[in-house]
Amino acid sequence: MKSILSALILCAFSALSQNPNKFTISGYIKDATNGEALIGATVYVNETQGGGVTNEYGFYSITLAASNYTLRYSYLGYSPTIKIVQLDKNSRFDIELFGEAEQLQEVVVQAGIEQANVQNLEMSTNKLDINTIKKIPSFLGEADLLRSIQLLPGVSTVGEGAAGFNVRGGSVGQNLILLDEAPVYNSSHLLGFFSVFNPDAVKDVKLFKGGIPSRYGGRLSSLLDVRLKEGNSKKFEATGGIGTIFSRLAVEGPLIKDKASFIIAVRRSYIDVLARPFVPLLQDGGALNFYDVTLKTNYNINKNNRVYLSGFFGRDNFKFERNQGFSWGNATGTLRWNHIFNDRLFSNFTAVYSNYDYSLQFGRTDNDSFKWNSVISNYIFKPQFTYFLNNNNELNFGAEAIFYTFEPANAVGVSNGTPTDVSIPKKNNFETSFYISNSQKVSPKVTVDYGLRYSLFNYYGPDSVYTYSNENPGTRRRPISSQYYQSGEVIASYGNWEPRLSFKVQSSPTSSVKGSYNRMVQYLHLVSNTTASNPLDVWNPSTNNIKPQLGDQYTIGWFKDIGATRQFELSLEGYYKKTQNQIDYIDGADLLINRYLEGDLLSGEGRAYGLETYFQKKTGRLTGWVSYTLSRSELKVNGINNNDWYATRFNQTHNLKVAAFYDINKRWSFSANFVYTSGTPTTFPTSRYVSQGILVPYNSNDQRNNVNLPAFHRLDISFRMEGRKIRSNGKERKNSDYWVFGIYNVYARQNPFSIYFSQNDQRVPQGQAISSQATQLAIIGSLVPSVSYNFKF
Amino acid sequence: MKYFFLIIITGIIFIGCETIISPELQNAEPLLVVDAWVTNKPGDQTIILSQTQPYFENKLPPPVTNAVVTVIENGTKTYSFLEDPAKPGYYNWKPVGNEVLGTVGASYRLTVQVGSEIYESTSKMGPVPPIDSIQYKKNDPNLSNPDFYTAQFFAKDVIGVGDTYWIKTFKNGIFLNKPSEINVAYDAGFDAGGPFFSRIENNIPILVDFIPPIRNRINPNDTDANDNALSPYIPGDSVMVEIHSITLQSFAYLRQLAEQTNRPGGFSELFSKPLANVSTNIANKNPNGKKSVGFFNVAAVSSKGKKFKK
Repeated sequence: MKSILSALILCAFSALSQNPNKFTISGYIKDATNGEALIGATVYVNETQGGGVTNEYGFYSITLAASNYTLRYSYLGYSPTIKIVQLDKNSRFDIELFGEAEQLQEVVVQAGIEQANVQNLEMSTNKLDINTIKKIPSFLGEADLLRSIQLLPGVSTVGEGAAGFNVRGGSVGQNLILLDEAPVYNSSHLLGFFSVFNPDAVKDVKLFKGGIPSRYGGRLSSLLDVRLKEGNSKKFEATGGIGTIFSRLAVEGPLIKDKASFIIAVRRSYIDVLARPFVPLLQDGGALNFYDVTLKTNYNINKNNRVYLSGFFGRDNFKFERNQGFSWGNATGTLRWNHIFNDRLFSNFTAVYSNYDYSLQFGRTDNDSFKWNSVISNYIFKPQFTYFLNNNNELNFGAEAIFYTFEPANAVGVSNGTPTDVSIPKKNNFETSFYISNSQKVSPKVTVDYGLRYSLFNYYGPDSVYTYSNENPGTRRRPISSQYYQSGEVIASYGNWEPRLSFKVQSSPTSSVKGSYNRMVQYLHLVSNTTASNPLDVWNPSTNNIKPQLGDQYTIGWFKDIGATRQFELSLEGYYKKTQNQIDYIDGADLLINRYLEGDLLSGEGRAYGLETYFQKKTGRLTGWVSYTLSRSELKVNGINNNDWYATRFNQTHNLKVAAFYDINKRWSFSANFVYTSGTPTTFPTSRYVSQGILVPYNSNDQRNNVNLPAFHRLDISFRMEGRKIRSNGKERKNSDYWVFGIYNVYARQNPFSIYFSQNDQRVPQGQAISSQATQLAIIGSLVPSVSYNFKF
Repeated sequence: MKYFFLIIITGIIFIGCETIISPELQNAEPLLVVDAWVTNKPGDQTIILSQTQPYFENKLPPPVTNAVVTVIENGTKTYSFLEDPAKPGYYNWKPVGNEVLGTVGASYRLTVQVGSEIYESTSKMGPVPPIDSIQYKKNDPNLSNPDFYTAQFFAKDVIGVGDTYWIKTFKNGIFLNKPSEINVAYDAGFDAGGPFFSRIENNIPILVDFIPPIRNRINPNDTDANDNALSPYIPGDSVMVEIHSITLQSFAYLRQLAEQTNRPGGFSELFSKPLANVSTNIANKNPNGKKSVGFFNVAAVSSKGKKFKK
């Protein structure tokens, strides 16, 4: 492995030999109306037919030989800007692009030849801009980021209302969700119906499913990178809306014009406010609400220095009495400093604090009560550098240090006046990683990105750790000895090399072939054995007994632009993934407040493979996409399913998604999406027997997930009506607003979430036969209409 | 209680929907079912042998007859269970005089011979605390059913960690045997590692009462013809509560049994555990022989009854 590293460094630095007659053009690309940095905007150099792309902060840098050039700055949905330069010195061009006129245009103007996906090295990534997310017909009219990404190829969910999402056959806990670089441990409000991301504050969403760059690590399946808006640096603006669930308000504006800006966005569910007069429970201290606050501010110190501060706070409260109920939420804070060392060396230093906690409280009196809370918190420091070596090499390197504290349970119970504390000691962990990668244009047609990440995970005392007995696979292992470690002593330590490689071959100007390999390592495990993940699921670090998860993924893809203005995009991607140290559970596992949790966990291997096709129309009155995925996801765990491979709970053979957006006229537009997926696997019994008067369903063949639920399909539509632009007196309105009328599940399909087997609820006299039944549950059993009003002024 | 909030949400916002269906199921060979929960209560003790049947076969399980069933205490004393001529598959042990089956602390081995196959299991009788009292009370006026009467019992866990119990309730002589009525305790609380257990601290015994959810789970979950909940008890009713000492394996089994059979449906399905086979402690002596299911437990029992007079 070391030889690979040295070869890599050698390779990268061999490219360092610079031609003194070359100069660098660099700068930021921003939105002209609000000053927001544009991520992934392109700079195209006509003469060399090459160029660059802006990074997450809107920065680009290209190095060219001294000459005259025509530069074309463009970004989807924006009018391109052409700049003619005579390059004889290093130059800084900060460019502002104007959004295309918002009115519908009868004749589509030269929309700009967009070629990002074909020419970009990236594969297995999907970007959704927030305007698309806002157009997708949504449940109860609430634009939702996580539900929107489920329309992308390779992304699935176990059912309506389930929290999180599954990427390429990976579990919910294998996705790293970053909100401005801060990990979000639970991304859901109201279990899984809504996500914590406020669409009014989000700028850009990017999902990495494969070919994950070496600067990211920590989860096996995917990375969801959510970037917040910086806030309008030109003028004050307020946006907001009233929907069926949330009322929202976001205010943004300059603190110092063109130098510093802020945004603060707040959402709150308001059903409890409306219900309060009628529901005595809510007046007596009961609660049913969820809210979040998102804020960000940035200061442009000078040309080479910019700082950003962003934060998020969200909470769900469910109390059915003053002292009884649940509450959970995330809090994150991110401080970033962009520093440009010189035209070619861009750096970013990030410091993050992230926290997730939940608490439960039961008991009507202090004499009989139970209080429990659980916390995960972490501090992260991350220096990152991009060195734009020359036109053919872009070097990325940096490090990351994460300090985790896990508090699985702080719990005290009181029974008839006798209190007992059963808290489980907290666990301290430190994860450090280093990475380096180079994106190298080997020839005009071939680009390769090769990189390496090294991660080291340490589990520190003070803590008591246990050794467990060997039992038959699938049964509980008992602790047989324990050992105490002092504060600061290393209990377990894992180090892993994570090679990453991707390549692109430009087979023609409009098509390319790309491939990638990456190894991912995951040191945190989401421990959950319920059908859908829930807020009380516990994250557990790797320990002496729980090994880190490893995953290797291979992908190959073909990308094609079609049409005169390249308005169509087609891609085909295949992937194969092999994973190790996957967690499963013994039957009857006890996962909450269990000091000996490790004795209830099983470990196995996984494999997932699939083919994703994606066809998108990007411009015109009708836009949208069709995505189809054929896939399989399986696990093999000793002690389950006769030690044979079995399909995971989220395995979906077919997964078809269609999203369409149509501009009817200047005021009205129409959106629709259709989803068809194979039913997910479940376990059916074969037999029944009676034990102590209770009817037991039993699978005599000991199979897991032996049948599939019926297929899932659903159509959603929405109409959007723009408010009048002109007042009745002929003057133009300063404010803009729009209404969204939607119907979710138009043809009222009762999609099965689960089928469960039970005995009839009637009391059966002894000696009589008990009748058994199967019940199919649809979480949403009818169509759900919605209306929302949105404004901006 | 655990998913109470889900019910609130269901009521306010969503429209879930449940349909009874009859999916086709895979076929399987029938297996021997041993239902052997014997106690030291006075009177006959019964072990039932039957066969598994297809899941949707709504008939009494087929009995297994002509088996030889014995329970041996500490390897010495044999209790023979003889088939009831009137009830095929029911095997009874009849005491002589005041004899009861079992003593606290003793070990037991069950042997069931069916044809040429021999099935075995072991168990141990644990200690059981007395029931201190039973109380009836009217519901809190703030609760949704203020006119209901519920009962609760008070008892204290036996000193030490790891005592496990099954609390069985009989209303007017009828055993409450719905899956939602299974009431098991690990010490005075729900499960291992929990905060509720009796112990000795600084030579002072600290006796902990069963926690309220266990105390209260002696109330039947019954509904009227319109699916409205009925008051668990009305004046004139009587309740009999029994605490059975069970082994840790039996406790785990009953917990799994409740998890797998108590399916209230609706939103609780989001967080229900997938269908999995409950465990068994009955094994064929021949590891390659036919499998069996069911459980064997020998329990010490304490009990108390109370009539509800207004």
